[in-house]
Amino acid sequence: MNKVRELSDIVSEIPNGAEIGLGGFIINRCGIAFAAELLRQRKKDLVLYSMMGTMDADLLVGAGAVKSYSYGGGSLDRFGRLDRVNEAIVKKTTEIKEYSGLALALRFLAGTLGIPFIPTKTLIGTDLLEELMKDKDCVQMGTSPFDGDQYLFVSKLQPEYSVIHAQMADEKGNIVIEGPTWDLETAKAGKKLIVTVEQLVSNEYIKRNPEKVTIPSVYTYAVAVVPAGAYPGATHKVYDYDDQALRQYAKVNQSQETFDAYVKEYIYGTKNHAEFIEKVGGAGVLNTIRADLAYGYVKGKVVLS
Amino acid sequence: MTTPQYTSNELMAVTAAKRLENGQNIVVGLGLPQVAALLAKSSHAPDLNIIYEVGVINPDPLDSDPGVGIADPRLWYRNDAFTGYIGAMGEILQKGLVDVGFLGALQIDRYGNLNSSLIKGKDGSARHFTGSGGAADMAALSKRVFIIMKHEKRKIIESLDYLTSVGCYKGKNTRVEKGLQKTAGVTVFTNLCVLETGAESGELEVKSLHPGVTLDTLKENTGFDIIIPKDVPATAEPGAEDLEILRKTIDPNKMYIK
Repeated sequence: MNKVRELSDIVSEIPNGAEIGLGGFIINRCGIAFAAELLRQRKKDLVLYSMMGTMDADLLVGAGAVKSYSYGGGSLDRFGRLDRVNEAIVKKTTEIKEYSGLALALRFLAGTLGIPFIPTKTLIGTDLLEELMKDKDCVQMGTSPFDGDQYLFVSKLQPEYSVIHAQMADEKGNIVIEGPTWDLETAKAGKKLIVTVEQLVSNEYIKRNPEKVTIPSVYTYAVAVVPAGAYPGATHKVYDYDDQALRQYAKVNQSQETFDAYVKEYIYGTKNHAEFIEKVGGAGVLNTIRADLAYGYVKGKVVLS
Repeated sequence: MTTPQYTSNELMAVTAAKRLENGQNIVVGLGLPQVAALLAKSSHAPDLNIIYEVGVINPDPLDSDPGVGIADPRLWYRNDAFTGYIGAMGEILQKGLVDVGFLGALQIDRYGNLNSSLIKGKDGSARHFTGSGGAADMAALSKRVFIIMKHEKRKIIESLDYLTSVGCYKGKNTRVEKGLQKTAGVTVFTNLCVLETGAESGELEVKSLHPGVTLDTLKENTGFDIIIPKDVPATAEPGAEDLEILRKTIDPNKMYIK
């Protein structure tokens, strides 16, 4: 079965109010193309989850497309902060639920295993848990029937959609991730997994290299081929992050006004991700950030001053 | 023999590195913790296993291109193994294999509890930062926690603006009573001294004072009455060899040790 579709077509079936698990990690394999397309199609009331927040969620929260966002912390690394999310927390303009990375990863793992909850010893005693305990559907304290000890039970998370960005997939949706695989549980927990990939490979390639498959096609609902889909973030071994573009975003997201102007110009003002990349980074920017394969990034490039 | 010149960040990194033992498993964040871990591995602890929460085990970069964070391949294009978040923070950390969780923080209180989330202004305003990431997990599930942070009155503080990560909770046995597992304690490496929670009290006390720092300076810069044992020793000065590794190999661009 051929699961390859246009990104805009896949996004068009996602209803307002949908629950979506997002897979990026700070500046690597972030779902920027997907988030921007959600915005272009004016989706709203989204319920988002990401173990580690990135620019994708910051864009969606800042643009008012989100009803509730659960995350385990996040930033733009040394470039800056997710200030649209941060402001929403302080001003309480959007419901933001803060976990630790592991607590949310365990909720995805419970969803992946199809079990109602997982006991853990993290988060106990923190102000994070104090807040989260207000919603008994997410977390509760409980006693282990085996050792009689107290644990935090985190409930399973199976969002309607999971969305990750990866290096490769075949048309059946066998997914190849190179580098660390922090988002396996996020991907597998969702009822429908959408993957944006840099490159489509043949099923024959997969059949001859099955050890490369990190997520088999049984999970995959749709595949969209979106070159540089994580831009301005990086995709390991394909392209580096664009430090100037991230620095620019880390500046504009500090106020709603400059953020709104950014979204208007670069997202609403472009038809697709290829146009977005060219507008943000200039024509040919991808040639300047293409990864050196022996390293996975642009060797020798100075990214911090 | 003349004493080599060094910066306070270099002293913090070297002092922390010396406390890491060969063969330990440690989870580290970016910045001075990572610098200290790489120094230990390059000197007395070649079998130190460094783990990044993103899913990297034993990063071993040869070229020192400074990276911006643990998701940056500059830190791990060369390493022993990749895994996932559950692989690192569940199957290694929660399983109980991590000897030291090594973190930075915005604030710390007298019981070694940490804030990496939110700072409140005097005018009632608030500013939210990164949040937990793996910090709360590392504090809850590592055998011991190391912290590197600047020694300021508004950072080493009586009462946190927000409790992100639990150290010794409210002291004595309260951490275990609350439902957390035991901790061997919290050690804090600042630019003035080394602090460590007492085994029984769970309260921070001064372990050593850095060369040239007086007790008055320490008290002036601490937000609570810190426990000062009798005869606090001076922190050992960094050796020329350690400084050379730091400057030439680990942080040649002086991103962190300046």
